[in-house]
Amino acid sequence: MIGRPEWFTRRKYGGWGLYPKTWQGWAYIAAFMVPFIIFQALPYWDVTTRTAVTVGWLALLMLDTFHIMARLKKDEREYRIEAIAERNAAYAMVGFIIIGILWQLASSSLRQAPEVDWFLIAALFGGLIAKAISNLVLERSAL
Amino acid sequence: MRTRIKEFRARHGLTQEQLADAVGVRRETIVFLEKGKYNPSLQLAHDVATALGATIDELFVFNQEDTK
Repeated sequence: MIGRPEWFTRRKYGGWGLYPKTWQGWAYIAAFMVPFIIFQALPYWDVTTRTAVTVGWLALLMLDTFHIMARLKKDEREYRIEAIAERNAAYAMVGFIIIGILWQLASSSLRQAPEVDWFLIAALFGGLIAKAISNLVLERSAL
Repeated sequence: MRTRIKEFRARHGLTQEQLADAVGVRRETIVFLEKGKYNPSLQLAHDVATALGATIDELFVFNQEDTK
């Protein structure tokens, strides 16, 4: 698409996604951001136009980011490091989600109106499905 | 695990960067391999051995404790 994988590296210490490692990477970010900021700063557009442009801009940026990430070259040591780091992140997230669900249940039960945020349940369920599919595919593959 | 990669690389007059390029990994991976701090896949061990004109046995020396 637009960006090239050699301009970026995997974001290791500040979340997920990409981090520019060359000036082209920074230029890519500027080329995406500056026109959008200028567009938003101009007073001519109505809400519908602003929303449409924002959604389109975000979709293009996300699509291109995923495309770059899929083509990032990593050697086997980097793959191992990334896999272990992502597993640890997943453990931490699942732990906090479970604590959140238990906290919601406990505190709402004390008010005699038990309730839980279904997005948290959906997040756990989504993770469960992703893990099951990964195991199913990887167990049959030639890793 | 101990490796003789550095010794064989010197014999071939290769830098870590050149060896890394030859086998398709980052230079850091070669650094860790040479220090014996990274257990490579069989494929990478084979690639490194081929690039250095050696066998896997010659490059990677396992201690008895490593195999337990």
